[in-house]
Amino acid sequence: MRIKIRGISLANIMTPFVIIAAAMLITSALIMTTGANPLNAYYHLLTGVFSNIIDTINRTVPIAFTAFAVALGIKVGLFNIGLESQFLMGSLASAAAGAYITGLPSAMHVPLCLIVGMLSGMLYALPVTAMFVGKGANLLVLQLLFNSIGTLICTYFIAGPFAGENPAVAAMPRIQATAQQPNLINGPNKLSISILFVILVAFAIWFYLNKTTGGYQLRAVGDNADAARCAGINVKKYHFWVLLAGGGLAGFAGALDVTGNFYRMYGNYSPGYGFDGIPIAMLANGNPLGMVIGAIVFGALRVGSVNMQAKAGVSVEIVKVIQGVLIMLISAQHFVRFLVGKYIKNSERSGKA
Amino acid sequence: MNQSIIFIMIMSMMRLTVPIIIAALGNMYCLQAGIMNLGADGMMIAGAFGAALTTYFTGNVWLGVLVGVLAGGIIGSLHSLICVEFGGMQNVSGLGLNILAAGVTTFLCRTVFKSNMTPSVKNMFTTPVLAGIPVIGDLLMQFSPIFYIMIVLSFISWYVMAKTVAGLHIIAVGSDPRTTETAGINVWRLKHICVITCGLMTGLAGAYLSLGQLDRFVEGMTSGKGMLAIIAVTIGRRKPLKTVAAALVFGFFDALQLQIQIKNVLDLPPELILSIPYVVAVLALLFGSSKSMDKVNLNPYVKNKYEF
Repeated sequence: MRIKIRGISLANIMTPFVIIAAAMLITSALIMTTGANPLNAYYHLLTGVFSNIIDTINRTVPIAFTAFAVALGIKVGLFNIGLESQFLMGSLASAAAGAYITGLPSAMHVPLCLIVGMLSGMLYALPVTAMFVGKGANLLVLQLLFNSIGTLICTYFIAGPFAGENPAVAAMPRIQATAQQPNLINGPNKLSISILFVILVAFAIWFYLNKTTGGYQLRAVGDNADAARCAGINVKKYHFWVLLAGGGLAGFAGALDVTGNFYRMYGNYSPGYGFDGIPIAMLANGNPLGMVIGAIVFGALRVGSVNMQAKAGVSVEIVKVIQGVLIMLISAQHFVRFLVGKYIKNSERSGKA
Repeated sequence: MNQSIIFIMIMSMMRLTVPIIIAALGNMYCLQAGIMNLGADGMMIAGAFGAALTTYFTGNVWLGVLVGVLAGGIIGSLHSLICVEFGGMQNVSGLGLNILAAGVTTFLCRTVFKSNMTPSVKNMFTTPVLAGIPVIGDLLMQFSPIFYIMIVLSFISWYVMAKTVAGLHIIAVGSDPRTTETAGINVWRLKHICVITCGLMTGLAGAYLSLGQLDRFVEGMTSGKGMLAIIAVTIGRRKPLKTVAAALVFGFFDALQLQIQIKNVLDLPPELILSIPYVVAVLALLFGSSKSMDKVNLNPYVKNKYEF
């Protein structure tokens, strides 16, 4: 008999934990080769996170949004890797709207910046989407191309037309005070209202996917596009809107990050948020709560690593290694689940005997 | 004057195209066998770091190239382990490899050298052996030995894919693994070989970056060249010669961009010129046959012993 908790088999529940533990172990080996103590490093990583929870939440926001966007893609059977440039486009447009539009009250300026960011993310997703849906061009390669082009466009605008007051630094001017999000917690570490949007959107996505006809049809397209087409579902429509919504979510995340955190756009703005969302969405299998938890883990890794470098002398780059190993294991998650399931079965059998 | 500019352009294009062509040919095998390899950048950076590190400690350039190639091969075998053996998700694994390889190389670079680049190491910019050839020797020696390896690899790739049974097997495995298995071909072994070959060749491309183009390893030095290689394969529809041609187009615009920046002749932002190859690629994808990918079956082909 298989152990099940609320309808989910134990192997499914155990898999994420096994993956995280394995990633920690593999990374420990690398830390040990440099002569540092991995336990000490992880301890400082954790204390870094807990002494800086607000920062962790701030880092969680963009990662959670890109994870939502990827998850929508997974549910409709598409692999969305164009979010990186869409995120940048959203940041760029909302930073420009925040810096160059003056004289608006805060109650209008903040929503304006957010909407501009979201629309520019969608707008940037539009050519790729149109080419994929209309002409059947290779989505993956198109998105890679548009990621490169988008990064160049941002570099151009930050260094050129939108260059800030200090020419030595590749950064745009600071956005107006009216464009800055109100804070839930003030102080040196401020917590903006961005996190509320994460909760809102997580709930909206859960509701849409599980409680509406549209969400049901969307999942049907993802499960078997041919069968969905036979059942009269417009497959192209769902592909089109999911990709556009992904652009909108990524652009919105960029706008939230600019108006809530840094108050300006600078060169190399995204440390790879667009790609962070992919493993999280895969591991959580499109479950919004799981994705928020995953985003918190990834955000915590980023924040805690700074403390780890300062206290344990392990370079922050180790976080990339942890992430890389995690992603590799996640890509083989079916296999890990198979191993875990086999192990559970075997231990049950030996328990009975 | 004009002639010399054309000459410089061609030389520059040849030099800049080498890593893209080598990586693209490697990825051609991989994609032809039905494995999408988004981890090309990771393989390349591993090759670049392995080559620079070994050359720094041993002073032997060829040993460096060997280690660079093997480093790429190790990353390639990770990819094949996950995608071929475990039936994992190719695209996720590839992106993971990019992050993992970038992380490991940067981590080791920071730990060993306390800096974001290695010190200057012995390079292989030129091929002094060829200087003895009359008339054209002076010209030929200006290229790195890896340039000549690239030419040989291009020819071999064309020969393997167009003229040998192995090439047909690779195409068969990529388009229909089940039927191919029925015909008595070991699907997984062939896929493993293709992906690891891809890793080895992309590692060589990385070694060229750190030893043939620059004399050191710098963090993030691949700067998307691996992605360019993948795009070149897609535009070249996985045919060796077309892939090389597509890579040459990228090299041409790279060289053009470099020359325009150095000469400062046109008052254009460098980003605009840099984006030209990408725009060309988008147009090629848009107007070229979009059915080229359909012939490759990118779904994982899982062994029966794993029940999932």
